[in-house]
Amino acid sequence: MLNKLNHLSFVIGLFFTIVAVILLGNSLLTETGGRMNLYTAIVFGIFGILMMVLTKTKTPSDK
Amino acid sequence: MKLTLPDYLIIIVYFVFVIGVGFLIKNKIKSSKDFLASSTGTPLWITSLAFISANLGAQEVIGMVASGAKYGIMTVHFYWVGAIFAMLFLGVFMMPFYYGSKARSVPEYLAMRFDEKTRSLNALTFAVMTVFSSGISLYALAGLLEIVLQWDFDVSIWVAAGIVMIYTFLGGLTSAVYNEVLQFFLIVLGLSPLVIVALQDAGGWAHIQSSLEPQLTHAWRYMGDADANPMGLHFMSLIFGLGFVMSFGYWCTDFLVVQRAMMAKNMRDAQLTPIVAAIPKMLMPLIVVLPGIIAISLMKTPGGYDIPLDDKGQLNYTMTLPSMIAYYYPSGLLGVGITALMASFMSGMAGNVTAFNTVFTYDIYQPYIVKNKSDQHYLVVGKAVTVAGILISIATAYIAKGFNNINDFLQLVFGFVNGPLFATFLLGMFWKRTTGHGAFWGLVAGTVGAALTHGLTMAEGKGGWITTIYEVKSGMGQAFIVAGVSWVVNFFTTIIVSLLTKPKKDEELRGLVYSLTEKPVYPKSKWYLRITPIALFLLLLTIILNIIFF
Repeated sequence: MLNKLNHLSFVIGLFFTIVAVILLGNSLLTETGGRMNLYTAIVFGIFGILMMVLTKTKTPSDK
Repeated sequence: MKLTLPDYLIIIVYFVFVIGVGFLIKNKIKSSKDFLASSTGTPLWITSLAFISANLGAQEVIGMVASGAKYGIMTVHFYWVGAIFAMLFLGVFMMPFYYGSKARSVPEYLAMRFDEKTRSLNALTFAVMTVFSSGISLYALAGLLEIVLQWDFDVSIWVAAGIVMIYTFLGGLTSAVYNEVLQFFLIVLGLSPLVIVALQDAGGWAHIQSSLEPQLTHAWRYMGDADANPMGLHFMSLIFGLGFVMSFGYWCTDFLVVQRAMMAKNMRDAQLTPIVAAIPKMLMPLIVVLPGIIAISLMKTPGGYDIPLDDKGQLNYTMTLPSMIAYYYPSGLLGVGITALMASFMSGMAGNVTAFNTVFTYDIYQPYIVKNKSDQHYLVVGKAVTVAGILISIATAYIAKGFNNINDFLQLVFGFVNGPLFATFLLGMFWKRTTGHGAFWGLVAGTVGAALTHGLTMAEGKGGWITTIYEVKSGMGQAFIVAGVSWVVNFFTTIIVSLLTKPKKDEELRGLVYSLTEKPVYPKSKWYLRITPIALFLLLLTIILNIIFF
């Protein structure tokens, strides 16, 4: 995990995943703008996880 | 606009990440080259996204949305005329010289190709421009946060500058570039929901087209007459002024963007960097021009979204994007939108500071102030210059706050210096007879020519400080004329002075001039993996886009 932090794609993926969790939490726990936050959270979450997963297959030069 | 806990959480997460990137990269910084020029063999996708992100500061994002609202779809000319062609030209023809010469900066290339005086002129003007641009970026960020969120101006300045200083001081250019890529995704993904929701609110593109004046929804149709289009430009002025002089002058010679391509791990990636970057650049109007057009269309329906008014009761186009974010984004997503804006301001500042420290250390300090010291010495100097650059930026931000006109003045002077630059590079790279004296005096004459043209023309009450012999309808048209004249003056002065002075020997110009340089040869591959066919394909796509929105 710590090693992967050296990969920019993983860092970007982690950032968007955390933002997705915040948006998802906000969407589920509050009544304001639920749908917009929910849809954005889903897109951010998919993007973030994909970026992190794809990092596995990257070469060591992606550091 | 009021932020709530989720919004603040997102902003804090972003700050933690950008500083974290600096700490992660810190351990890899061993030499001045690691810090100032990034010698890590950066992959193509990072150099390409950083290449366009370097031109995706908030002033560009907010400015392009504002232009979209003011001028309509003609704003796409800044992308489909004023960027793509120059980016492709840089990739196909110019990168082999920048990368192949092993120069660490654009001024250093000028030293190799011409002489020290041409280098020092370019290095000094570039260093001054970047550090002042950084300050203006900081001022704009603090000003925006003060208006939109009622945050204290001083706190915004010091917090934003402090964060940029931490990550650029720790990780240098690599850190700035990595954060630029993060910023790119944040802007694209953070503003996409706004485009979708606002477009839906406006009834879709077909409805927008039918509700707006045709001049706002056609890119070229009304450009045959300068009085018939909102920009007040004739198409010839646009093609020569923006499409050739300003565009090539910026994309092909500005070290801030070229530096991203020079970070690539090999020649092929260096050439591909601006070419691959042209793909997202081509689509960028969807994110930064379309919202402005949507905004002006939404104003046709009473009771909905309106662009705010300024003190004089005029539409405040600059506030279009922030006000749309405030109008459409709920708590949570609002934090994403604000973070995207802050990220682009800070990234723009970091880009300027990292270009400044490279040019100051390699092109001013090392050759002229303290020569022949150890690499560690120049690493320490590079870090000290980074801190100095941030402090000068802060000072500039406060000066800009006190004297509003200084922004316009600085932009004007930058235009005088940038306008003629491409003529120097074009002649230097493609005409081996060009001499150092020719290049230097061409640049000086071009800059003076630009200033004189501005002093003799008037547009929207600006210029004409000598006398007005020609009135231009729009300030933009005046800027194109000034740039065009400066280019022509530089071009002919360089040729005349070069013909009167002694050129360098051919042996000294190998790798620096087109006719004396072996063209890069790559292993045979499919057409879509080769540089020239990809560039031609993208050229064709750009032409098709211009035809579709004619």
